[in-house]
Amino acid sequence: MAGKESPRRILVTAFVLSIACSLFVSIAAVALAEAQDVNKLFDKQRNIATVSGLSEGVAMTVESLREIFTQIVPRAVDLDSGEILSDFDFENYDERSASRDPELSMKLSRSQDIASIKRREHVSLIYEVLGDAGDIQAVILPIRGYGLWSTLHGFLALEGDGKTILGITFFEHGETAGLGGEVDNPKWKSLWKGKSAYDDQGNIAISVIKGAAAPGANAIDGISGATLTARGVDNMIKFWLGELGFAKYIEKNFRS
Amino acid sequence: MNVEQSAALNISAEEKKRLGKGERRIWKKNLFLPILDNNPIALQILGICSALAVTTNLKTSFVMSIAVIVVLCCSNVLISLIRSQIPSAIRIIVQMAVISSLVVVTDQVLKAYLFDISKQLSVFVGLIITNCIIMGRAEGYAMQNSPLRSFFDGLGNGIGYGIVLLMVGFVRELFGAGKLFGFQVLPLVSEGGWYQPNGLMLLSPSAFFLIGILIWILRVVKPDQNEAE
Amino acid sequence: MKKLRDFLDSKVEPLFHKGGKYQRFYPLYEMVDTIAFTPATVTKGLCHVRDGLDQKRMMIAVVIALVFPLAVGLYNIGLQANLATAEAGLLLSGWRIDVLAGMGIEFAKNTVLANFLYGLLYFIPIFLVTVAAGGLCEVIIAFMRRHEVTEGFLVTSFLIPMIMPPTVPLWQVALATVFGVVIGKEIFGGVGFNFLNPALTARAFIFFAYPAEMSGDAIWVAADGITKATPLGIAALNGVHGAGGLIEQGYTLQNAFVGFIPGSIGEVSTLACLLGAFMLIALGLGSWRVMFSVFIGMLLMASAFNGLQSFSDNLMYEMSPLWHFVLGGYAFGLVYMATDPVSSAMTEVGKYIYGILIGILVVLIRVVNPAYPEGMMLAILFMNVLAPVIDHYVMESNIKKRMRGYGRKRIS
Repeated sequence: MAGKESPRRILVTAFVLSIACSLFVSIAAVALAEAQDVNKLFDKQRNIATVSGLSEGVAMTVESLREIFTQIVPRAVDLDSGEILSDFDFENYDERSASRDPELSMKLSRSQDIASIKRREHVSLIYEVLGDAGDIQAVILPIRGYGLWSTLHGFLALEGDGKTILGITFFEHGETAGLGGEVDNPKWKSLWKGKSAYDDQGNIAISVIKGAAAPGANAIDGISGATLTARGVDNMIKFWLGELGFAKYIEKNFRS
Repeated sequence: MNVEQSAALNISAEEKKRLGKGERRIWKKNLFLPILDNNPIALQILGICSALAVTTNLKTSFVMSIAVIVVLCCSNVLISLIRSQIPSAIRIIVQMAVISSLVVVTDQVLKAYLFDISKQLSVFVGLIITNCIIMGRAEGYAMQNSPLRSFFDGLGNGIGYGIVLLMVGFVRELFGAGKLFGFQVLPLVSEGGWYQPNGLMLLSPSAFFLIGILIWILRVVKPDQNEAE
Repeated sequence: MKKLRDFLDSKVEPLFHKGGKYQRFYPLYEMVDTIAFTPATVTKGLCHVRDGLDQKRMMIAVVIALVFPLAVGLYNIGLQANLATAEAGLLLSGWRIDVLAGMGIEFAKNTVLANFLYGLLYFIPIFLVTVAAGGLCEVIIAFMRRHEVTEGFLVTSFLIPMIMPPTVPLWQVALATVFGVVIGKEIFGGVGFNFLNPALTARAFIFFAYPAEMSGDAIWVAADGITKATPLGIAALNGVHGAGGLIEQGYTLQNAFVGFIPGSIGEVSTLACLLGAFMLIALGLGSWRVMFSVFIGMLLMASAFNGLQSFSDNLMYEMSPLWHFVLGGYAFGLVYMATDPVSSAMTEVGKYIYGILIGILVVLIRVVNPAYPEGMMLAILFMNVLAPVIDHYVMESNIKKRMRGYGRKRIS
């Protein structure tokens, strides 16, 4: 019999071990996949429900979210034309990877790229909150842009008039805790509610200013000590509400 | 049947008891020594990377400690079980394969059942693979010792690691956010209280300072841990 | 004087010596005793005399050199408060004004004395807190380690309040001082072993721990309700020449050079720091090599950025070396911090490398990093960490050079 250190024995050991390990890992991955997908969906839905204001006073569970999401429908918007795409394949579309794919996104020139995101996808997934009569009560738009250290990802919700801001939330960012990280602060986020995103002519009206905004003004207070993060948020709002963002979609669906 | 084997079969009950006692002493030693006297972080300075990254609050420190303890115990036992079968030429790779499988599965479990925390831990669960404590114990202990002894060795080292993580996490969360396990303990100035959170505690370097101070205290209490000059 | 000495020697000192009644308090006794008298202890065994200078005397000379920037800084606190309140149409109030009124000085008149005293009333509490917190740490650790209280903290206790903003909360000063003394110095074995400058360590602590206050706009002018960014903060956002930039907001090179700009208490005046520099160099206490090379490094880097400004929309690229020189903590750091004999490089060549790298880093941090408009503190601390490495390689290369030299001789 060959010894423990013989080449044959080494190959056999390596082979058996790889089979055993890969079996172990794949079984775990398959068995847990369902629970993971539920979590991922839950996480996303929770952010959407929060910014839409529909979850206020509701404990967030998978069930309560399912209930809320009977009212919320995803839509795919062609950002270049502002049209809603019918029969879109939501299952296989991932905005993150689309925004890096040269075929699914456009490169932004330096003057266009005020939010410092380099590329913008052609199709964006938005969420419409429908009333009982099928009317749009609110629309939730995904936004992203560079702050001080990192790209902030979030949602901006507008009311059914396509003008009034319902809420804003950021679900992913790497800003300094206590400074730029204050974009997460509920107090700061509540400043946005009720402000107008557009004026009557359809120009962008909202801005994040440095220091405190005058009472009644259509502006958001800056974040103390985080001028650059606040400036990043301002730029990102201006980009996504602008012509390269959702302006055409809003024009077509809310102002006609 | 040779002489040795027959002798091994004929040991008396009393001898068995004595051997059992010795065995238990080894388990105890393996379990308790790494907690204070031979702490993997404070004395061996291993596993520092994750100790910096995940200790901003107690919840992540706790989950990370549990994850490391589980991986460490399992890898020690598994490697000890197959130790006589492992050709020494590929032993490091074998250890790596076992450990990384365990880590991947742990990561999957966290993603399935503790999604929020696994999001906060991000890559650092995956990086347990590179945590020197685990490789160190596998190569340094489990390769030479029985599964049960290795289990206690893994448990002891895991707890030693976890205790330091929890201590650092306690200080960082308390002074950095005024919270413990997510509950507000010190009322913040921004919410009408009196405590001004210390932002340094939320940055990784603070964990360096804290671990340094911990080592300082430990070496004042136990001077034999000082390196020879 | 002699009588006092005799009394101390015969009656008091034995109490503190080994076996004496107050043996444990010897560090305290020694501390007080050697302020007035040169220590009687002499080095035993082999020793290497570099200088006849006593540490305590040297520290006192440095403190005297610190008086220049401090005096201008204190006047400036009052001046800035006056200017800002006049601009905003507010009236100053608070206990400091009451104290001044009690002395019969009306603050609104904008006189030199009133401004100076107003600044002094801001400085004194910070200074006292620093001395109390730092002194306590020093004494406790001296007891723990059973050695004398060393003089090192004397300079540090002046440096710390001078690099704080005037309205810094006092408890933060206390915390920062403790951190600076313990982590910056004592943990490595005390004076002489610290590779970091303790005062800068304290400043770094407070900067990272309470960033909302330390990098905000509310702290630089000593008047309630006034927010005013530092010139460097303005430049980082709006540049020097453009809209909303430094020049448009009324800052001039002359004002910044003399020190009449918002900033930390003692580091506003480049002029006063230069006076201090001359004194330190004349007395042989500060290394001119370090100062000179910090200046050269800054000049090189700032000029390089100036040359590249058309390639970037970063507005800091356009800041000229002159502006870099007069703004922020640059001059103060150059004269009093970079030259700290313990934490800077020791070798002569090393000092040039160390200094030039500080100069390069400070401009790099100011210009490229979006979050920290002030770069001097971080640049010096970073180079403090690298100084031993620089020294090591300088010595290695010296040894190699000599070996080669001797080797050749032997062969020929």
